[in-house]
Amino acid sequence: MSLLRELRREGRLLARDRALGVWVLLTLVLAGAAVLSGLQEVAAQRASLSHMAELDRIDREDAQRKHPDWGSTAYYSFHLTYDAPSNFAFAALGLRDQEPWKHRIRMLALEGQIHERDAGNPVLALTGRFDFAFFAAFVLPLVLIGVLHDLQAQERRAGRHALLMATATGPGRPWRTRALLRGGAVLGAALLPLLGGGVVEGTGLPVLLTASAFVLLYGLFWGVLAYALAARNTASAVILAMLLGLWATFSVVVPASLKAGIDAAVPLPEGADILLTQREAVNDAWDLPKAVTMDAFLARHPEWAPYGEVTTPFAWKWFFAFQQVGDQTAEPLSLAYRAGREARDELAATLVWLAPPARLERALEALASTDLRAHFAYKDRVRAFHGQLRAFYYPLLFKDEPYDPEVLAALPAF
Amino acid sequence: MNDVKPAALEAERLSVLRGGRPVLSELSFSVAPGEVYGLLGGNGVGKSTTLLTFLGFLKPASGQARVQGRPVSEDVAGARRAMAYLPESAALYEHLSAYENLAYFLELAALERDRAAMEAALDRVALRPDAREQALGGYSKGMRQKVAIALALLRDAPLLLLDEPTSGLDPTAIDEFHDLVRALADGGKAVLMVTHDVYGACQVADRIGLLKGGALVGEFAAGPAGSISTEQVHHAFTAGGDA
Amino acid sequence: MSVVRQIARDEARYWRRSQLAVAASVLFLLLAVVTLVVTALRISHETTLRAHHQAEAEAAFLAQPDRHPHRMIHYGHFVFRTPPPLARFDPGIDAVTGSALFLEGHRQNSASFAEAGASAYLGGLSWLTPALVYQLFAPLLLIILGHGALAREREGRTLQALASLGITPGQLVLGKGLALGAALGLALIPLVLTVALGVGAGEALAPALGMIGAYALYLGLWAGVALLFSSVLAERGAVLVALTALWLALTLLLPSLAVNNTERLVPIEGKTEGDLALLSELRKLGDGHNAADPAFAKLKQDLLDQYNVDSVEALPVNFRGIVASKAEADLTETMNRFAEARMRQEAAQNSLLARHGWLSPLLALAEASRALAGTDLANHHRFLREAEALRFDFVQRLNGVHAEGLSYLDDVRRSSDPEAEARTRVSGENWQVLQAFRFEPQAPAARLEAAGESLLILLVWCLGLMLALKRFAGRLAP
Repeated sequence: MSLLRELRREGRLLARDRALGVWVLLTLVLAGAAVLSGLQEVAAQRASLSHMAELDRIDREDAQRKHPDWGSTAYYSFHLTYDAPSNFAFAALGLRDQEPWKHRIRMLALEGQIHERDAGNPVLALTGRFDFAFFAAFVLPLVLIGVLHDLQAQERRAGRHALLMATATGPGRPWRTRALLRGGAVLGAALLPLLGGGVVEGTGLPVLLTASAFVLLYGLFWGVLAYALAARNTASAVILAMLLGLWATFSVVVPASLKAGIDAAVPLPEGADILLTQREAVNDAWDLPKAVTMDAFLARHPEWAPYGEVTTPFAWKWFFAFQQVGDQTAEPLSLAYRAGREARDELAATLVWLAPPARLERALEALASTDLRAHFAYKDRVRAFHGQLRAFYYPLLFKDEPYDPEVLAALPAF
Repeated sequence: MNDVKPAALEAERLSVLRGGRPVLSELSFSVAPGEVYGLLGGNGVGKSTTLLTFLGFLKPASGQARVQGRPVSEDVAGARRAMAYLPESAALYEHLSAYENLAYFLELAALERDRAAMEAALDRVALRPDAREQALGGYSKGMRQKVAIALALLRDAPLLLLDEPTSGLDPTAIDEFHDLVRALADGGKAVLMVTHDVYGACQVADRIGLLKGGALVGEFAAGPAGSISTEQVHHAFTAGGDA
Repeated sequence: MSVVRQIARDEARYWRRSQLAVAASVLFLLLAVVTLVVTALRISHETTLRAHHQAEAEAAFLAQPDRHPHRMIHYGHFVFRTPPPLARFDPGIDAVTGSALFLEGHRQNSASFAEAGASAYLGGLSWLTPALVYQLFAPLLLIILGHGALAREREGRTLQALASLGITPGQLVLGKGLALGAALGLALIPLVLTVALGVGAGEALAPALGMIGAYALYLGLWAGVALLFSSVLAERGAVLVALTALWLALTLLLPSLAVNNTERLVPIEGKTEGDLALLSELRKLGDGHNAADPAFAKLKQDLLDQYNVDSVEALPVNFRGIVASKAEADLTETMNRFAEARMRQEAAQNSLLARHGWLSPLLALAEASRALAGTDLANHHRFLREAEALRFDFVQRLNGVHAEGLSYLDDVRRSSDPEAEARTRVSGENWQVLQAFRFEPQAPAARLEAAGESLLILLVWCLGLMLALKRFAGRLAP
């Protein structure tokens, strides 16, 4: 019998199923709410960014006006750096809720600035927001379980199971078709708002299709699981409880165990140590012979060797040199910290297949550029920008150029 | 000997376990086409188990169950296609009408039957015409069963398996039912009827097998008088202990 | 009453023979115990580590050699927030907020290095704490145990049999309730043990008991819901589906939807935006590093008048130190204004979120649990305030040393004259002005008060359910 006829036949039967209608409607509403809230949040973030950029410019220009010399200007001017939300970020806000995506930095030692957290209300971050990724990873499986768990148990309870099995030709029928229709209806209802949101945001088609494919595959995983358990000859309550147990295992227990295991397996240097080390290095420099600091600096920047002598107790070029030396001293720890986080993430990426909900979240976050890799890319851009700032100011400081506001026009922008 | 038709249904030393316990032990009997065979027994002796085995829902631990000469386990789908099954509950979809139920199950069986055929079948089982468009939720047990039998008729399968078909029916309905079964058998179908109604079985069956302790303890055929002796069967049924 | 006890005993026997009930109970207890042990170890480790870092930071500050006091203001100090004893059970926002805070002059920094940032990222529900186990999974356990309580009697037609023996619906519900209550008590044992450990580690008794009470109310609430649904709906399968749907709605959906709603109703800006607004305010004040800034003209005049001299060089105190002190005071006043405003907004968000507890008891319990453990937002704010007080204290004392410990002339010439510079270095003994920082857990009375509204919400839920049970159980007909 052709698939189409089967779908039509079962579809006519399912169309009268009010309970299924409720589940599908619920899915649509929840997915819609998730997408809507994501769209609102992204719009708010973008508005905030443009507002801040303006304020930042005003503040910097004011600082530049008040400090007509290179050293003070460099000391007092702040620059806004940011990671704007991508056009798929509405679906998976990911690490944007717990990692800062904006920093105002100046030319001082970077290690003291780049680790600050600009997180919002920690209680809200702890409770977790309702975005599409959360909905798809955790709520959608429960809906699928709801519509599929009593696929056969329902018929057994009604006394129709044997008749259906005896009448239907071919193995797996009518269960497979019914499961397909029920699961398909729910998944369709879930994806519709996502596609709508993508249209609003102007998300690229490849991204939308990939995301939809991920959600469908994920739905297939849970659908197959529910279908397999639904075939058991036990009460639907028992089947439901078993599926809930599996949901709890995959959603909470496995990820938490993996997290604890990975954290234990890949130790990180203490963040506090990075801060302490950098501070000590920066402050020691005040007491060390200038030559020691300048040597450490010039080792990295031999081009300034001709200008590297410092005779007065204070000179801006020396001040900024020891700021950089502070960074250099903390660099091994900072690199180790970064490497440790990356190692943890790589391990997580490999093992997360054991926890499909987390796998889906990570996949969606990768598409939305809100995962750890995107965050590190942003951090790298900040570091690069800081390097550009230094490259701009060093010639002016070392060659002792006279102050000229015109030159500021060439100041690097993020 | 050469033109003896193969039995429609045959159990040969059939042993079936359920939940680890033996329910059928070396059960042997056969049903020929055009014959009504009554499998009689008390509660829990294995009557439903026998039906479920023929339908391919249970696998024999030893022995064979054969449908039209072929073991069920070899071709379950084929065996099911050849059988029309009337479960004890006669449950169908409550929210669908008689026509819709018939249409659904017939489609499920990959059969094409038009409205006229359905009408004819419903006429044959004497279901009130005014009830046919109503949802089955409002039917009595007897009416529901009529729809289920109509389905079996429309299936036009050579074998008919009936599970406690007359439980919950009033005497008029029982008589109607028996007449229908007789007519079907006369038309060439093989009918295996599982029941504990001694009197009814004696009325309609050509042969009766008495099931006790998982095997046949006696087989009764119609004598020269035409029908099976109720007294004899009743006596054998209620006799205590295993044979 | 013996009838009620018999019914309860019968229910317990049913559970003992039900694979589902046994499996669910064992799995829950296993999960609770494992999570407790892991979290307790982690928190103990964190406590020791942070205390160690704190001691290190203090030693580093005190060990600084002779130098210009203003350098020490920029050298700054670190404070670390140590978790309270009950954080073993509910670490609250400890993992999400930074635990290290850098204190320096002219700035109020935000805390750095939250554990949540460094930990491997495995999705939104991977922060498994004992509190979450109880908040999320204990209800499921009670649902599995309780969903069949009355429905199975109806399905198995034993309801008629019981009624014919003269057992009233009220007795039946009480009996089942008693059984669920006993199960609830057993489920709470890991919690009680942990809290006892906390008390052993120095926690006060009142918040500990409050914690047990809060979770008992929450679980009692869910037991009540399970009984209610079980008595109203006819079929076991339907009861379980309905209860699961309710659980999904109340523990998974509503809390995160509440977050969305809270952010919408009470939006707050990030720290960076706040900083920019702060900066435009601060631009109006003078720059403390520049004593010639016109903003300090009046100060200069007042000082000259006070000491009856004509120029700042003639003052017996270091004008730069005075300026630094005043600038810091003005700056701090403005910064505190902004910080307090921000904390008020966050607190407003927090109470709004907690108020959603009327819809989702999990939110009420979460808030009560954090408040009682001392790991809630209010405590983090208290940490920030205490740290700020410490900062202002040592900065102003150092500014005092700046004003009185070295001369203005030396100070002015120190960039160009090495000898003057050497004279501006004050003795390292002065660094003793730094107060030791110990973040003590909040007073028990304050914690109970903070948890008050949420506890009330849980109590009202419980009472409401009892009333509902009374009403619907009366209608318990076979």
